[in-house]
Amino acid sequence: MRKGWSAKSALAIGTAVLVSVGIFSSPAKAAAEPMTITIWTFGDVIQRDLVQQYKVLHPEITLEIKKSDLDPLNGTALVTSCADYLRTKRLGTPPDVVAIEVSYSGYWRSYPQCFQDLRQMHTSDANVAGGIVAGKSATDMKKDYLGWRWEHGVGYNDSVIGIPTDVGGLEVAYRVDLFAKAGLPTDRVAVGKLWPTWDAFIATGQKYMKKLSATQKKSGMGFIDNVGTIYAAILNQGTAKYYQNNGTDAGKLIYTTNPQIKNAWDTTIKATTAGIGTRIGQYTADWNTGMNKGTFATILAPAWMMDYIKGQAPDTKGKWDIANLPVSGGNQGGTQLAVPAWSDKKQAAFDFISWYLAPAQELYVFKKYGLFPAASSLYDDAALLNYKDAFFNNAPVGKIYTEGVTKLKPIFEGKLQRAIDQAFGAGLGRVAAKKMTSAKSWEQVMKDLQKVVNP
Amino acid sequence: MSVTKSGQGRRKAPLSPWKNKKPKEAKVLPGVASLDGRWGFLFVAPFFFMFLVFGLAPVIYSVYISFFQWDPLGGSTFAGLHNFYNLIHDSDLWLAIRNTFSIWALSTFPQMFMAIGFAAILRNKRLKGKSFWRTILLVPNITSVIAITIVFQQLFGRDFGMINYVLTLFGLGHHIDFIEGVIPSHIAIATMITWRWIGYNTLIFLASMLAIPDELYESASVDGASKWKQFVYVTLPGLRNTITFVIVVGTIGGLQVFAEPQQFAPDGGSSKQFLTLTLFLYNQAFVNNKYGYAAAIGIVITFIVMIISAVNFLITRKISDAGSR
Repeated sequence: MRKGWSAKSALAIGTAVLVSVGIFSSPAKAAAEPMTITIWTFGDVIQRDLVQQYKVLHPEITLEIKKSDLDPLNGTALVTSCADYLRTKRLGTPPDVVAIEVSYSGYWRSYPQCFQDLRQMHTSDANVAGGIVAGKSATDMKKDYLGWRWEHGVGYNDSVIGIPTDVGGLEVAYRVDLFAKAGLPTDRVAVGKLWPTWDAFIATGQKYMKKLSATQKKSGMGFIDNVGTIYAAILNQGTAKYYQNNGTDAGKLIYTTNPQIKNAWDTTIKATTAGIGTRIGQYTADWNTGMNKGTFATILAPAWMMDYIKGQAPDTKGKWDIANLPVSGGNQGGTQLAVPAWSDKKQAAFDFISWYLAPAQELYVFKKYGLFPAASSLYDDAALLNYKDAFFNNAPVGKIYTEGVTKLKPIFEGKLQRAIDQAFGAGLGRVAAKKMTSAKSWEQVMKDLQKVVNP
Repeated sequence: MSVTKSGQGRRKAPLSPWKNKKPKEAKVLPGVASLDGRWGFLFVAPFFFMFLVFGLAPVIYSVYISFFQWDPLGGSTFAGLHNFYNLIHDSDLWLAIRNTFSIWALSTFPQMFMAIGFAAILRNKRLKGKSFWRTILLVPNITSVIAITIVFQQLFGRDFGMINYVLTLFGLGHHIDFIEGVIPSHIAIATMITWRWIGYNTLIFLASMLAIPDELYESASVDGASKWKQFVYVTLPGLRNTITFVIVVGTIGGLQVFAEPQQFAPDGGSSKQFLTLTLFLYNQAFVNNKYGYAAAIGIVITFIVMIISAVNFLITRKISDAGSR
């Protein structure tokens, strides 16, 4: 009996193997060697549609897309893999392509030894059918992309470790209906003119707050969803944040002396004390609810957030519009695709990246999924400039975000960027929660940072 | 088999029918009886092999790392006791210890009382759909922590959360901030832990209660004890060892609380009000890139666990001594 059972199960397993092998190997052409390229990614960086298009171009290549819930931005896993490689110099372990989020760019720019310098790679003739000229290196591609976004993928030693996918951009999403109720202008150009400076933005917020009834105020209504977001917006409008590139992997820390930081801090505190924000944290349940209920009239929104708003508050269609950010453009988010130094399929990986991030593909992704392209060669493309969004009151979002992102300058990001950002964020949070005065909280941030930057 | 043979060989004649019967019974399990000590090592070897590779080796390695300024991708320099010296003088360590124990106390004790209560209800012989209730109690335990946190964040929301809504209905406080407040945030996190583990502990208490002989309850009721008195004088003393077990396991779990506060806010709150020891370790290693420092924190956590285990051991021994007397 036992024997009969195992024979039967062996037969079943055998059939399953045959069937699955048959399904997965049938499209492969006999001529090309089958190959698997492993990609570590997150969110919507790698789009299913384009993966299928690449399958048509290269039936022999299987793209293995991996996402991790526990380590969503591939932070720790990549450190482990690279440490392993540096110790053993062993090639051929995954991944062949990795997605690096902008918040990690500062860290990875300090470790170019973990990545293939893409200046030394040249496209093969594999994707000529897909519109990619053979023999192009990252140096040749640079001109197609937004300068300051390109810099996120450049190591401290000038090697190119990653090529940008999308750019977040940052503009003000505002509620037309709520602005009208408060007696503010509703036309997006007029709204943008309300706030040439951040101080004017705060003053507009105070005007809005005055029009709210006492019960509305008590129920937690405010002008902007979270004043904390102003800090990062102002910081990105400058030319330097916490670091200066001095050619070493550590970089030079300038957070104590950079006036832009104090300016961003003080303006955020001013907005906090003016009481124009709701203090709701972004991406919380309260935030999603507030978006539907009209608890706040403005959000500082990167391009990719438009999709989020549509998903969370579908009933507010047509009530939103997009106006310019005060002072200049802004940014929040974005990703680079990189090839780890330990991949043994670097050519195929680079061929994939150069095709996937080519302007034509980035435009496709923008139209289909709303991720704003980092390929600046598209910025005079009519398809992009004429793109309007019905959900946002037919705002020409393509044009608005294009103008915004081209205003920014490159900023050098350093190794401990994330930790320093976190300390400043916590400091602003303490003031917002009325746990500390601004001066005391700033002092605390400096103390905490001493612990972060000193070994 | 060798046992039975030698047993028969030594004895010339059976002394009684009983003695005669015994070797025959042993024959039923020749396979086990024939195993001598050497084979035992083979069977436990897989565990010890895995333990050496995945348990002991990383521990030794992290002790080593803790004496360095360790950068896994760059150079590392020997730092002696520098990491430990800094750690003792780091106010965050003491804050993390305070938070960890506060959350531990808030989650362990209320949970234990409720679990014993649930177990007492489930023990009721007239309860309908017993296995349904027992199964459903375990559902929170197999739910993903992230999912639990997302739901509880909605419940604990400051402005639109259901708990604040109910509290205002009764006129109790208004818009308690379950993230910024120290005790409120601890309560919120402890609630999530309680929700996840209460079913598991209930089943353990239930198993222990079912092991208490019915005769004890019968004689108690003959003596005129009410249900409540039966519970206090028969059930609770019978649970003594289980209570210790649950507290010990709860302590070990309590020192490892990580996912819940991390999902609340990755940095442990604006004034680190719910930074737990493991979250502190994680942030030092993977946000601040201080791997040596993080390893030192790991060693401090190990010492804390050892101290608590010793205390637990002493208490357990005292209780079991009292029980056997």
